This record gives sequence, C-alpha cells and structure tokens, in this order.
Amino acid sequence: MSSTAGQVIKCKAAVAWEPGKPLVIEEVEVAPPQKMEVRLKILFTSLCHTDVYFWEAKAQDSVFPRILGHEAAGIVESVGEGVTELVPGDHVLPVFMGECRECAHCKSEVSNMCSLLRINTERGVMISDEKTRFSINGKPIYHFLGTSTFSEYTVVHVGCVAKINPLAPLDKVCVVSCGISTGLGATLNVAKPAKGSSVAVFGLGAVGLGAVEGARLAGASRIIGVDLNSARFEQAKKFGVTEFVNPKDYDKPVQEVIAEMTDGGVDRSVECTGNINAMISAFECVHDGWGVAVLVGVPHKDAVFKTHPVNFLNERTLKGTFFGNYKPRSDLPSVVEMYMKKELELEKFITHEVPFAEINKAFELMLKGEGLRCIIRME
Amino acid sequence: MSSTQGHVIKCKAAVSWEAGKPLVIEEVEVAPPQKMEVRLKILFTSLCHTDVYFWEAKGQTPLFPRIFGHEAGGIVESVGEGVTELQPGDHVLPVFTGECKECRHCKSSESNMCDLLRINTDRGVMIGDGKTRFSKDGKPIYHFLGTSTFSEYTVVHVGCVAKINPAAPLDKVCVLSCGISTGLGATLNVAKPTKGSTVAVFGLGAVGLAAAEGARIAGASRIIGIDLNPSRFDEAKKFGVTEFVNPKDHDKPIQQVLAEMTDGGVDRSVECTGNVNAMISAFECVHDGWGVAVLVGVPNKDDAFKTHPVNVLNERTLKGTFFGNYKPRSDIPGVVEKYMSKELELEKFVTHRVGFSEINKAFELMMKGEGLRCIISMDS
Repeated sequence: MSSTAGQVIKCKAAVAWEPGKPLVIEEVEVAPPQKMEVRLKILFTSLCHTDVYFWEAKAQDSVFPRILGHEAAGIVESVGEGVTELVPGDHVLPVFMGECRECAHCKSEVSNMCSLLRINTERGVMISDEKTRFSINGKPIYHFLGTSTFSEYTVVHVGCVAKINPLAPLDKVCVVSCGISTGLGATLNVAKPAKGSSVAVFGLGAVGLGAVEGARLAGASRIIGVDLNSARFEQAKKFGVTEFVNPKDYDKPVQEVIAEMTDGGVDRSVECTGNINAMISAFECVHDGWGVAVLVGVPHKDAVFKTHPVNFLNERTLKGTFFGNYKPRSDLPSVVEMYMKKELELEKFITHEVPFAEINKAFELMLKGEGLRCIIRME
Repeated sequence: MSSTQGHVIKCKAAVSWEAGKPLVIEEVEVAPPQKMEVRLKILFTSLCHTDVYFWEAKGQTPLFPRIFGHEAGGIVESVGEGVTELQPGDHVLPVFTGECKECRHCKSSESNMCDLLRINTDRGVMIGDGKTRFSKDGKPIYHFLGTSTFSEYTVVHVGCVAKINPAAPLDKVCVLSCGISTGLGATLNVAKPTKGSTVAVFGLGAVGLAAAEGARIAGASRIIGIDLNPSRFDEAKKFGVTEFVNPKDHDKPIQQVLAEMTDGGVDRSVECTGNVNAMISAFECVHDGWGVAVLVGVPNKDDAFKTHPVNVLNERTLKGTFFGNYKPRSDIPGVVEKYMSKELELEKFVTHRVGFSEINKAFELMMKGEGLRCIISMDS
C-alpha cells in the first residue's frame, strides 16, 4: 500500500460553496476509505452538463458546499475493508452509478440499474455510514453522484469503479465514464442499428455525438443529425453525420420531414436532448413495422410523453436507456478496449484542456455552448 | 380443377344489408377469381369482435350491403391467373392481412405489415380491378377485410391465404386466422417472456386468453389476468392464469397494485382491451430495467397514450403488434403445427357452435359478452 494508506490526505479540491458561483480551489481533508470503498487519486476529469445542472441547482434541492465532478480517470490510492477486486495502482474510471453484482438488476442481462448503487442526485454522503469523507476544518463537504471528481483525491464505493487497461491514456478515456458512453451505448446496446440502416440522432452535443459514433461503428448508411443550432452541423460531419435537419427550417413537424427523407421513416432514432417534443418526434419518425426509437436525454419532471397509440400498433418500438445500458464494472473496460483497438475514436470529443486551477473556464465554455469536452488536468 | 372452375358460383351468403341489423342468408353470385386471386369454399368460420365493430358501423363511413367474416378455414376451389402457390383442394386459412413477399415489410424479418396487402377496413372491393366478386341480381355486395368469410364461397388475394396441413381439423384451426394468433403472437413473438418470468395480461376475452396461452407455452411462472368483469376469471383459469386483478376492487391505479404484487413490476405485459387507460397501465406496470409491454388492443381514433418519459428512461420497453407479428403465409402454417403437436390448445377457445343459418346467434352471444369463440358450420 502507499504511504498515505489509512491516513487522512490533505489535498486540493474545487469546492462549490453556493449554487451558481465559481468553484474555489481549497485545501480539503479526505478521510480513508471505509468498508467496500476505495480512495482514488484523480488525474484527469471533465465537465458534463449534469454537473452544471446541479451546480446551478435552480429547480431542485441540492446540498452545499459540494464537490462536483463525475467524469474522470485515476489510480487507486488505497482500498477499504472487504475490497478484493481492486488494489492500489489500478487504473480506473469512477462512475456515477454502480454495479453491486448481487441484485436482480445486476443479475439481469438487460438492466444496468443496480438497486443499491443506481444514480442518486440528492445524496451527498457515503451509503455505508451516511457521512462525508471530505471536510474543511472539521466541517463536512458533500459528495456528488458518489464520485466528486473535482478533487485530487476522492472516495467512492467499490461498485462504482471500473478497472481499465493500464495502458489506456487517462486524459482521453476519462470521457468514457459518462457522456460519451451514454450516447455510444444508446446506439450500440439499445437501438442496435444493422449495417446499412438509417439512424436519426436528435441533439448534437457530446451525448448525441456519442450516439452518432455508435451509428458509425455499427455501419449505418445514413446518420441524420437533428439540432436547432445549425452551428453544430460542421462539427458533426467529423463524426459521420451524413445529413442535417434543423426543425426551425420547416413548417411541418420534423418527424414528417424525416419520414419524407427516408421513404417512410428511419430504422432507428436516438434522442439526446431531453426536450419532450424532440422525444415524441424521435418516436414518430421511425419506420412502422420495424423502427426503434431510444430516449436518452433527461426531461424536466413535469414533461408528458404523448402519442397516438396506433403508432405502437404499427409495430414501432419505444425504448429508453440510462448510461447507454452499460454495466459500469462489467462493460466499461471493453469500451476502453474499443478505443485501444482504434475502433472507437475519442480525441474528436476533446476540444479544450485546462489545468485544475482554471476549472471555472470549463464551466464558462459549457454555459456558452462552446466545445464538446474540456479536460481538466489535476496535476 | 373442379367443375365450377371459371364459372360464376351461386351459393348462400350471410349478407349485412344495414348497419346493426341481423344478417340475412341470401343466394349470391360469386365470380371466378381474377389474376392473383383464389376462390375458396369456406367450411367453418367464426365471429371476431372486429366483424361486430364494422357491422355496427358507428362512427365510420358505412359500406353496405357487405359480407363480413374474416376468421375461417376452407379449401381452394379454383385459382386465378398467375397463382402458382396454391391449387384446388389445398386446405387454407384466409387472413385479413397479407404477405406479398416482395415489399420491404415482407422482406424484413420483423414486420408483418405488407405494403400491398396490409389490413384495410375501408376497402370493399378487390385490389386487382376495384370491383366486387359478389353480387345479387346484378348489384354488387361489398367485401370486408379482403376475406368475407360469411359465405359458402369467397374470393381473396393469393397473398392473404395461408396453406396449412390438410390433416388439421378446420373447425378448430379456423380460429387461428385472426384472434387467437393475434394474442398468441403478441406474447410469443413480441413480448417473448422467458421461462419462469411473470406476465400480466389485460383483457380476458379471446385475444387476451390467447396471450395467456402464449405465456403458458413460454413457461411463465405467474400469469396475472386483469379484467373489469370478474365472471371472466373462472374461464381464465383453464388458460393458465394464476392470479386475477379487477381494477374496480382497488382505489389505487392498477399499475401500482401489480407492482406491489410483483416486487416492482412484471417482466412482461400484454394489453388486449384497446382501452387507452389500460394501455398506459400495461406499460407502467412492467419492471424497470428489463420490463417489456406489448400493446395489442385497438384504441379509438382520438385516444392519446400518455406517460412520464422517465418511465421510458428507466429502461422499460414499449412495443405494439399487429396480428401477433405473424406473417400470414410464412408463419401461420407453423402455428397450425403447434396445435397438431399438441403444444397449443385450441378446443378451450371454442365455446359455442351454430349452423350457418343461425349465424345471428353468434352475434347475439358476442353482444351479450358470452363465450369466447362460436364456430359457424357452413355445411348444415
């Protein structure tokens, strides 16, 4: 074990003291991992829209002060009691949801929604003792999504840690621990387009482009990108999008536009905006008889999905996914391998890089809608 | 070929002259089959709710006089030009939806919604020439669903005819040409419950009980039947239904009741009523992570399906089916074989029998909600 095993570590963390205010780099104390926990040294992290959403904390209760961050890559520093799957020095991706391997969900081939470790946006403490592992001068600093990767060291449940190939460059594969996998898996695991098929992707941000990458890997013949912001089209071409539709350019509903472009509808659609109208359009634009629509983007809590039931009787299928249906521990290592074999391309998702001290720049870029992923270097 | 080949046949048919009025047994003339058509001698037919719905003709453009009927078993009498797949004497089931085998749907391994021959409830004529093959005193009598099986002879498109094992008893397997296959396929082809799984079936009429039969064949450990009419529960036990829920008995939404009975939700649900609230319940009662709901029953045209999208993001799947996703020509013969090998039980669906002249009794039984399938024997 490292020389810090069993001891409190003092290190830097970017603390969100109040909703919507710039993060402050502070010295924090990180307690050792308890039973079934591991302490990680984070080397690279990236900003995902979900961090921003809960930092802004506009509509929901969010605890403060808090250490955000859930897309990252690092190395195991020490492990708590009962942890056998990981040892110090392992290269890992912490994930905002986990895999206990015991519950009905983990045992199901289909689900990745672990009963114990599924996403919990409210919880700011560790599951086992409901306390935080972060503190400043004895005052607790809350966790976020069980990851809190905007810190040089963090403590997470072992079920939320994916052990990956130590040769994988952590400054690239850190993006696999959330957004890119969400989109990629939505296409590869859930929509499953056949070679030569047509796919529509709604929303061309990082998650949507992850879905596009999945369609490219599956050999789709047409990848139609749908976005209200035409400025995104140039970038999307690099990801294999073959045609673009901006709903604002048409008087008729976008599902009609897409159906006309595709002789009745696309074979598969993937919805990555969370806008309820886009969700309905994504469903209604797939071909009857065999079309499958996959919902990915998270809507606001009062949204209602509404369609005429005949759209189902006409043999369209509606599915939804969470984290691309990837089981974090079982499946993410193979996603990293897809990158290592040069099948999956990740560099094109990384548009910016900043040192930890300038982490607020990543927020500024995202709020301005610029770029896809900004990597934050901890060292 | 038979001696009637190429000639007009005069025979009996149950003609519906006006919406909602009893059918009248008339002598009609049945023209020979044209290109890609076949003329069938119908031996047995049964009444399905869709016949009743269009006979009542409430709310749609009525087309009368018309010969209804679309669930039947018969024998090929003669074939029209270009027909190579069938010959006189073949035992067949006519189907209200067809398979041209050329279009994208027919070529898809998934879809059964043939572009050319998919169900058309408005059309009362043959596709080939836009005319009817039935007439009385020179006046046309309209077709229904391309089948019109309430007649001793009928003419149908070859793509809508399934050739089956000649040893199969037509008075049993006639029910496979619509309702029973619809429910059975919804479960076996679309919901696909695994052995030991839990299945909820909404609506315990013939289609729903066929869905339950599919769940039984698949080895489901629990088959929960939901119906507003508790008198259906006894019958449903014969079909393997293990538990019953009547939504009227509970204050909370039925999906909550089901979720509580099954530790979070059923693995599969099949909705066979067409009631839009039942459809929403059928979707919301399946387990997150892996649940699949299949919609079968046909709703009213202004109904809206509504749910919170988080129910979809929580990894529930919503599917729909038409005729159980069976391709009529390719798949129905295999369903008949399941019956012949005693895997599928059909006798329990047949609760009544009448002779052709008493066909209106079948309507009365259905309007009263009695029985499952009433077989009408043409020969008597």
